Amino acid sequence: MFAQVINAQTIVGSKHDFSAQTWNTTGEICKVCHTPHNAITLPDAPLWNHQLTTATFTTYSSATMNATVGQPDASSKLCLSCHDGTVALENFGGNTGGTHFLTGTTLLSSDLSNDHPISFTYDAALASTDGGLFNPITTPSGLGGTINANMLFSGKMQCASCHDVHNNAAGTPPSLLLKSNAASALCLTCHNK
Amino acid sequence: MIKKIMQGILLMILWFPAMVYAQSIVTTKHNLSATGAGDVKASSETEICLFCHTPHSSRPMAPLWNRRDPGVIYTLYTSATLQALPGQPDGTSILCLSCHDGTIALGSVISRAMIQNFKGGVTTMPSGLSNLSTNLRNDHPISFLYNASLAIADGQLRTPENIIPPVSLKNGKVQCTSCHDPHKNLISDFLITSTQNSNLCNSCHQRTSWEMSSHNTSAKTWNGSPPDPWPFSPPDFSTVSQNGCENCHRPHNSGSDVMLLKYQQEENNCLDCHNGNVASKNIAAEFNKSYKHNVGNYMNIHLPNEPNQVFTNMHVECVDCHNPHAAKNLPALPPDVSGALSGVRGINQAGTAIDPANFEYEICYRCHAGSPGSPPAATSRIIVQNNVLFEFAPTNPSYHPVTAIGKNSNVPSLISPWTTSSIMYCTSCHAGDGSSSTAAPHGSIYPHILKLQNLTADGGTNATGTTESPSAYALCYSCHSRASILSDASFKEHRKHLQQNVRAPCNTCHDPHGISIMQGNNSSATNLINFKAGIVTTSSSGQLKFVDLSGNHGQCYLTCHGVNHNPHSY
Repeated sequence: MFAQVINAQTIVGSKHDFSAQTWNTTGEICKVCHTPHNAITLPDAPLWNHQLTTATFTTYSSATMNATVGQPDASSKLCLSCHDGTVALENFGGNTGGTHFLTGTTLLSSDLSNDHPISFTYDAALASTDGGLFNPITTPSGLGGTINANMLFSGKMQCASCHDVHNNAAGTPPSLLLKSNAASALCLTCHNK
Repeated sequence: MIKKIMQGILLMILWFPAMVYAQSIVTTKHNLSATGAGDVKASSETEICLFCHTPHSSRPMAPLWNRRDPGVIYTLYTSATLQALPGQPDGTSILCLSCHDGTIALGSVISRAMIQNFKGGVTTMPSGLSNLSTNLRNDHPISFLYNASLAIADGQLRTPENIIPPVSLKNGKVQCTSCHDPHKNLISDFLITSTQNSNLCNSCHQRTSWEMSSHNTSAKTWNGSPPDPWPFSPPDFSTVSQNGCENCHRPHNSGSDVMLLKYQQEENNCLDCHNGNVASKNIAAEFNKSYKHNVGNYMNIHLPNEPNQVFTNMHVECVDCHNPHAAKNLPALPPDVSGALSGVRGINQAGTAIDPANFEYEICYRCHAGSPGSPPAATSRIIVQNNVLFEFAPTNPSYHPVTAIGKNSNVPSLISPWTTSSIMYCTSCHAGDGSSSTAAPHGSIYPHILKLQNLTADGGTNATGTTESPSAYALCYSCHSRASILSDASFKEHRKHLQQNVRAPCNTCHDPHGISIMQGNNSSATNLINFKAGIVTTSSSGQLKFVDLSGNHGQCYLTCHGVNHNPHSY
């Protein structure tokens, strides 16, 4: 029981544990994304070691959306450096000639028009205008603080608002979620539906 | 004390989610997860949003949709008067139909490789009111452009900018979500606002005269006798006014397809209230009588845009004489239409289509002014005329005063308040019999839908012929005093002809509608004289005519009951 809890809270054994992948000749887990030295300098890029995407993204839009969605920024751009399919998985630590790219359901491509919007400011004003969103400043996230404190980054929704890239504890099927979506609890944290 | 406070806080914590969810999808039938409120739900899956939405790889993109396009061709709503052009369902409507057309398993979502199992082995939407099927002919049209020109063409729709919120257009079109909010079920059927007092419908529809009509204003309730006049509207709607549009219409699963009526048999939409159970008069009982405007004989023939004068597809329906969007309880004096006939089209005395009719007879003329198949004159007469409009023309030498004051200023038999200046209705004679009837020709036990008896069988020596009595000619005697007639106050030989050996009914000599100016004049066709053919034959000189010599004097050339008048002068 104890071991399960430990493993559940780490990247070890998760989908983001690439140590056994053939393209990861280092056999290391962290190195695919991070390096302790000579990291790529970028805001919100924690000791970044993976080649960054330069793609221009098509963003989500809808007739009733009140949020203003820009190009993916901050940490979301790091995720998309694998998940847009333009940068090879093994292009880290200075490598550039990789040949392994994401496929299947985890490949979002650079067309994000069919994906939940990201990189938009989610504040009390947006919640008020939309009418179907909770106020992030006052609404509990279920994670100990408010939505704004626990799920937003500089007031913006990002990939990491829903996903914890290091933690496979929550979610069935395993989607590296920040909190369990049983009974749609993750969705209903923000959406007042 | 502290314990009590703690209990209070605990109660608030427990209570708070329930308060939030009171306006949430979680407690509705649209929560298809295993925790859902309805009977149709997943066996084990607990995610709620999943059954419609996915955060990634949605199709279509907005609103992050997680279900396949049904990819079927829908049968669309259509009607003779529909100005809108419904296309195949699109926008949000096709999303709704990906469950509600019954073609795709409810548990089939894009983001999951396996179909989610549902309780009770349910796969697609179970049959019932929520399963609209791919036949949308009996559903309110959707996915049509609603713009200013549509409002103008229809004539009874608000302009798009005047649509009353929360009803709204979606990309300029009416879609399911114009009326429904799939995430909230605050009222019933996920409606965004109540249908009470036609509130939802009135957000777009602006029916002419509806505001003051009885179907909008009446506080009448149902007396509880079956059938339930309002089986499809919310149970707390207890008055005609509250039921409003839903007195007759259903926006989904209508019985009629066209016009979205509750029942296909048109009159059933009227007679479930007009049977004495809601409306005070029992019109349904009138249609059980022998002589009637037989609305039960016709179905799917009446068209709301048929010509004012019905010339083909002869029929009669309630709405040929009544406008359910305009009818109201408002008495009138002849010849004006009463409230019950308000907002109905007609043909005026000039033979011109008129909308609405001003005078009651104009409505009768829709069918009785020379339309093929309309009833021929009740009595075969010397002067033949089947067109009622010609019979009542004010230029005629004589006519009952329906369209104008009559020609004869000397009618001593008239019973007050009738005078020679009076005007009467068609329905003064043609109406239901008995005190429970309305003054309207729905049905009567008497031929020609007359409100009182008027026997016409010739008497003479015929034992089965009519014998004069107050009841034999009750119709005529209701305005024309029997005592006056039998005292020969006008025609000096009335008594002799009505009683004694002759026993001639009123109908043998008088043509009650009138004699057209085209067929008679002021010396030949006054006093409604137009003899009955077969009974009255030519005189010894071969003549068959009446000559008015004025001042209650005249001559008749005829043979009747073997008596030769050649002429008989009086």
